[in-house]
Amino acid sequence: MLKNFSLKSLFACLVLLVILLILPPILPRFYTYIFSSIFVTALLAMSLNMVVGHGGLFQFHHGAFYGVGAYAFALLLYKAHMPMWFGFIVAPVIAAFTGFVIGWFCVRSTSLYFGMLQISLGSLLWAIVFRWYSLTNGDDGIHGVPIPSSISSSSNAYYFILFFFVLCLVVMYLIHRSPFGMTLQAIRDNPARCSAVGINVRRHQLMAIVIATFFAGVAGVLFVVLEKSVFPDLLFWVLSLEIFIMCLLGGWFTFAGPILGAAITVALRTFAGIYTEYWTLILGVLLILLIFFLPEGVMGFFVRKFGKRGGEEDALGRGEHAEG
Amino acid sequence: MKKGSRIRFSGIVLFGLVMTLSLMMLPALSEARDIKVGVVDTYSGPAAVYGNDALNGFKLALEEINKQGVLGGKIEFTTRDEKFKVDVALAMAKELVMRENVDVLVGTINSGASLAISDGVAKAEKVPFIVWTAKDEKITGEMGHRYVFSTAENTAMAGKAGGVGLAKKPYKKYWIAGDDYAYGHAIADAAWRNLKALKPDVEKIGESWWKIGEPDLVPYLTSISAAKPDAVIFCTGGASMTNCLKALKATGFAAKTPSWIHTAIDHSVLKPLGAEAPEGVMGTIQYLFYYPETPENKSFVQAFEKAYGNPPGFPAFNAYITAQLIAGAYKKAGTIDKEKFIDAMEGLKVRSPVGGMVEMRACDHQAVYPMYFGTTKKLPQYDFVIATDIVTLTGDQVLPTCDEVLKTRKK
Amino acid sequence: MTYDLSAIGSQFFVGLSRSMILFIVTAGLSIVLGVLRVPNVAHGSLYMIGAFSAFSITKLVPGATGFWLALLVAPLVVALVSFIAERALFCHLYQREHLMLLLFTFALSLILGDLVKITWGAEYKSIMAPKFFDGSVSILGASIPRYNFFLLIIGPLVAVGLWLLTNKTKLGKIARAAAVDREMVGAVGINVSWVFAFAFVFGCFMGGLGGALMAPTISITLGMDHNIVIEGFLIVTIGGLGNMWGAMVGSLIFGLTQAFGVLFWPQFAIVFPYTAVVIVLLLRPRGILKSVW
Repeated sequence: MLKNFSLKSLFACLVLLVILLILPPILPRFYTYIFSSIFVTALLAMSLNMVVGHGGLFQFHHGAFYGVGAYAFALLLYKAHMPMWFGFIVAPVIAAFTGFVIGWFCVRSTSLYFGMLQISLGSLLWAIVFRWYSLTNGDDGIHGVPIPSSISSSSNAYYFILFFFVLCLVVMYLIHRSPFGMTLQAIRDNPARCSAVGINVRRHQLMAIVIATFFAGVAGVLFVVLEKSVFPDLLFWVLSLEIFIMCLLGGWFTFAGPILGAAITVALRTFAGIYTEYWTLILGVLLILLIFFLPEGVMGFFVRKFGKRGGEEDALGRGEHAEG
Repeated sequence: MKKGSRIRFSGIVLFGLVMTLSLMMLPALSEARDIKVGVVDTYSGPAAVYGNDALNGFKLALEEINKQGVLGGKIEFTTRDEKFKVDVALAMAKELVMRENVDVLVGTINSGASLAISDGVAKAEKVPFIVWTAKDEKITGEMGHRYVFSTAENTAMAGKAGGVGLAKKPYKKYWIAGDDYAYGHAIADAAWRNLKALKPDVEKIGESWWKIGEPDLVPYLTSISAAKPDAVIFCTGGASMTNCLKALKATGFAAKTPSWIHTAIDHSVLKPLGAEAPEGVMGTIQYLFYYPETPENKSFVQAFEKAYGNPPGFPAFNAYITAQLIAGAYKKAGTIDKEKFIDAMEGLKVRSPVGGMVEMRACDHQAVYPMYFGTTKKLPQYDFVIATDIVTLTGDQVLPTCDEVLKTRKK
Repeated sequence: MTYDLSAIGSQFFVGLSRSMILFIVTAGLSIVLGVLRVPNVAHGSLYMIGAFSAFSITKLVPGATGFWLALLVAPLVVALVSFIAERALFCHLYQREHLMLLLFTFALSLILGDLVKITWGAEYKSIMAPKFFDGSVSILGASIPRYNFFLLIIGPLVAVGLWLLTNKTKLGKIARAAAVDREMVGAVGINVSWVFAFAFVFGCFMGGLGGALMAPTISITLGMDHNIVIEGFLIVTIGGLGNMWGAMVGSLIFGLTQAFGVLFWPQFAIVFPYTAVVIVLLLRPRGILKSVW
């Protein structure tokens, strides 16, 4: 399974990891915070890509599961006064369960219908969270979630988030390369042929959704660790569309593309926002330039230009995708 | 080097170091630097009109303040557009505090963002945060703390003003309707609570809630008419309110049934409707550019119109007071220090742009000023509808008492 | 609380008028979805430009003439904007992945949103329907505002017009054929790219018309694009992707469930549209009417 991961790529990843580890003491606190924010967003984008890029599913409302994970964690800590480790394990499970329920309804449809049904169900969840004041405080949000002081400070939060981010990435990579992951990609490319060969397409897709939403829940938990707040915006369809765009921006059929997409979007929003209130215009123009000049996304471009970094990405991702 | 001279050398270096350090640690009094204010607000989307109004009021005040300066320097500011998103607001507030190193944070119209910044940035980083438009009473109420202040009128005040105004009217059967979000429900609760306390025989015969920004309110109004209430309390604001007023006029509802809406008499809402705004709608607000007709208000309005081309609204009023408070507190503190600033803010009284003084209440960090209760009417000298039969309720009449507020914090 | 028949009647007609306007807006979305097979995220922005353009026109030409002129010219402005976007950028992407087209419409919506802010500013704007529309009309004992009655007439007229266009004109028939099998259309020698251009521009024109028609009933603000996008998408999905009559069915469901929901359970109005959509999609996952593809 791991033999395709070349030594050179492994070395490059380790170097990157070491750099990330030594950043907090040398960077101003704000940049540490931004990096942490990028890790959380990147994890969310990666979890979405599991079903979009590798699975070919139109997961249009992934943010709903992120929000569920975040709210579950916040409520467990703030209202039920549960210890953090309990919340940390239970919240992603709740998110995955939500993914299972919604996914079960969605996999019965294909392509755009899958996406639209998910938007409706996810928006229903949003409306419930928004409206149920006694539980969720509605659009006031829940603030001051009691995160243990050991991971409260900027650098400690950074390391905590980085640790789980890397851990999740490793697990996702193993899944990507496993027989399960390979089958999923085969289903993306040609579902008819797969089911002719005897693969239960629906069940496979549902499992992929459950796994992806579990990781979205983890991202939600990490968000709360970083910001100590939750609010209904997390479940709103605009955020889901943004994550989707991050995957496309970074290159949705490469493994690590979404990380780059997330990094670019967060950085742009933060730093363009300092200079102008029209940073959405800039993002729009950037996306258009990207579509025309870098159609495989930023990462895709690098993968193609600089050869077989990371092994099989090229052979797997490109080529005709089945319609819908 | 010989040992003796080495010791002498080290001694000189040590001495030099100590002198340099002491010079660096001299009190900031001797350094004059500008005071930096970080503004997070909404400059995109439907709420942008309020963000702009507030910023204009703030800038106008600063122009006058900076003529004399504060503590030897000026007050400068930098703005960030949160686009009405809470996560963006949080990130920008952190950027202002951690990267720009602002002395004071100010903002925003989004209540969720205000609460998030209050807890996650103001309290966590110990930076004073003055909320100037968001109306959630939790900001200085239940979730209040040392590092957050408010110059906005909150839902508790608005509800009390409405309750007091409506208690004087003969209506008994009420319908409550509004935007289905925290602000809408908070106004409804506060208004009903106060009305019922002052006039126990009022009865709530039903409620309707629509999604915020709902464009077509005609179905809601027709169904409310069917229930035939004596009066309706609408809990809406901003663009949603304009939709509401339009629908009130279109269905003829305004002519048949009296309604009360907090900020119905807000000029940003009435102006686009021009002569077509409904008459006879009751509203409350803390600032009107045409009332009271004091010389201070007139000159404030004149200066504002000259600079920005339109009259000031209530966000400008709030922001103007905020600027005065910031300048006044720093002058009183005598130094650019966050803790001293907060101590100086408590109980500080500054001049209101309409005349009279506004106090920053020490117990809960809420600004105290009067509210006006009026009814819309079209007068020939204006192109738009204004409030008439205005009743002024003083700050003490509309604010909850210190005890009430502190009790909610203990929970 | 008892409701008399006239109240229910009023509510029915009001809901119906809302459905009509939803239909006009979503018919355009449906056309683009059907022919180009891409959900146009920028549709909301074009609807918004329609409303803002209507405002500017009524400011230039006051009175009732201004209003009627706005109804005519605002959609043309929107059509022009979409034509420029299509010919300059969009048409080069037709060979690409669908997700790329979706990404393009998203980017376009971001750009148009900020351009509207730059052009018109942040203040609320409002236009009023001409004096002729003041007051209510009584149908079978139920009263509805005159402007809503006007919409009740316009809706079916537009629907009939669209039907004639797509079924009786050569252009319409070609567009329908391209929706089903674009390769065949190309093989027969028709320039598919121009068919797409026509479909896109016409779809956006309808969106702009919807915006202009809607304008007298609401406040014209930034951010109105977001509100309409999600409703539009849900409607075309339950109706049947790309199917214009599906847009009508979807709009009727949306408008009427909301109107009656508001009458009987007004506290929870916020969840009705999503619940209705969920129920429909669970019963008929591919939408009520047949999708075009």
